Amino acid sequence: MNSDDQLILEFQQGAREAFVELFERYREPIYGFFRRRLDYPARAEELAQECFLALLQNVQRYEPRASFRSYLYGIAIHLVAAERRKAGREVAENEKLDSRAVEGSGAENNDAGIWVRNALGHLEPSEREILMLREFEQLSYGEIGAILRVPVNTVRSRLFRARAALKNQLMPVK
Amino acid sequence: MERNAQHAFDAEEVMAYLDGELEARRAAALAAHLVSCSECQEVAQGFRALSERMLSFEVEHPSAGLNETVLAALDSGKPAKAPAAGRAQDQRAWSWRSILARPRNWAIACAVTVAAIALAAIPILRREQSIPLNGRSFTDLVALEPGATKSRPPSATSSGYKKRFRDDAVPVRGEGQIPANAPARGEGWDAPAPPPPPPSDGEELKAPESVGPMIVQTASLTILATNYDEASAAIEKLSAAHGGYVEKLDAKAQTGNARELSASLRIPTKQLDGFLADVRKLGHVEEETRSNEEVSDQYVDLQARLKSARATEQRLIELLGTRTGKLEDVLEAERELARIRGEIEGMQGQSAILVHRVNYATVQVDLSEEYRQVLGSGPISTGTKIRNAAVEGFTNLEGGAVALVVFVFAVGPSLLFWLAILLVPAWFAWKRFRVRAQR
Repeated sequence: MNSDDQLILEFQQGAREAFVELFERYREPIYGFFRRRLDYPARAEELAQECFLALLQNVQRYEPRASFRSYLYGIAIHLVAAERRKAGREVAENEKLDSRAVEGSGAENNDAGIWVRNALGHLEPSEREILMLREFEQLSYGEIGAILRVPVNTVRSRLFRARAALKNQLMPVK
Repeated sequence: MERNAQHAFDAEEVMAYLDGELEARRAAALAAHLVSCSECQEVAQGFRALSERMLSFEVEHPSAGLNETVLAALDSGKPAKAPAAGRAQDQRAWSWRSILARPRNWAIACAVTVAAIALAAIPILRREQSIPLNGRSFTDLVALEPGATKSRPPSATSSGYKKRFRDDAVPVRGEGQIPANAPARGEGWDAPAPPPPPPSDGEELKAPESVGPMIVQTASLTILATNYDEASAAIEKLSAAHGGYVEKLDAKAQTGNARELSASLRIPTKQLDGFLADVRKLGHVEEETRSNEEVSDQYVDLQARLKSARATEQRLIELLGTRTGKLEDVLEAERELARIRGEIEGMQGQSAILVHRVNYATVQVDLSEEYRQVLGSGPISTGTKIRNAAVEGFTNLEGGAVALVVFVFAVGPSLLFWLAILLVPAWFAWKRFRVRAQR
């Protein structure tokens, strides 16, 4: 199986199948990325579309300096940031994370999922993003640092704090 | 996740180990440690449980519409509109780091800077060389020849004053230099009037009563010149040709206005009629006045007083030479002699000036360009309006460019200084803002 980096380079050379393969690999992860961060499934799907369309549009500008996964999630991070600025709701993001989950407008309703979502809403935004990129997108510390432009040690320390805080939220010490 | 401070591995290292992010040697040691350390096993189990718990935050699958849109864009070769993505890419493309990293951007910035400087500098250079006015160039230079300050009789070949009206304003070697205190362009500059030619002794004798009445003649002409450059140059030539000289000259060339030349000339009385006839040919005479002032009485009176004073002087000299008396009387006589001599010298001077005024008529020539007449009279044609508007527009553009350059030079250094100081904290603040915004 070709790696992601090989596939994107093949697509740069015009191999349509390479992009289809990449799309199949990242269709659900990218949708999940947006879905866990936005209120509405429809908007999450639109941004997922825009993410892949941006990849299509700028494929010739891709340079294999970092992993393709970092590149793709970098685009996704920018899209989410733009979406939040557009909506002017970055300040109220924590409260929204709470309410929308409880109202059932967000992800699939299961008790554990709701608890996780509520707990994430109480984390520091900078720590929460690192934790989500690690747990849900399974990015390495280096990839997270490259996307968020923070040192790897900072990623590790923030991740540790986020996990400790989340554990206290989900499994309070008795 | 509190740990014993004496423990070999802290919880953060256990977490990094579970994430596969611990350095290999340290990871091997921790793996061995985990086998025997129940406390670390508990910590590791806590991290694993947390990750499993987080995975319960599941999301639904995307709809088939996602596939259709993306694959349709892939096949069409023209991605559907992706405004947010475009913005995101724009942000990437417009980050300062990426801009500064591209040599092409540096080249473009240098080219734009050079073009702006050239755009600003060319009008300045042109302005220094010439004045665009009504489609012609004009430079008013009234140059004073070195050594011309010496008082000497004006002549056709040795006039101490040279005035140049030329399209090409590049100074010609040998034609004299602009005085250092010459005013800026557009202002009039009065050529310093030369002292009147010293009347010779014979000149005084040439004005006796027997010659006839002594008349001081003055004339004034206002001329609208069709060809201003030629006319202005001809005035001085004509005055020299008729044995006269330029007493005062004032040239004005204000931007947007017609050029004007005001010359005060001294012409030998006998040549006055011929000179005026020649000057009238320079253009349309709008106004001409002549006046004669008879100064015979003044001259006769002056001569009589002078004669009387000289007689008194002579008697006093004789008195002092032949008579003796008290010292006070002698001193009084000498004081009187000195006073009389002062009067004599003053009257001689007045007499000389009077004779010169009689011998050299004063001619005032006001020469103006026909341009002013065109603008000042009658309705202005549309073409003229457009042309004037274009001239004004160019002037404004030139002024704006100069003002911009002046502003850049005036404010630029301090602006760069403060930018250099503030850029670093601003950059960090912006970076922090972006990181927060991304979350």
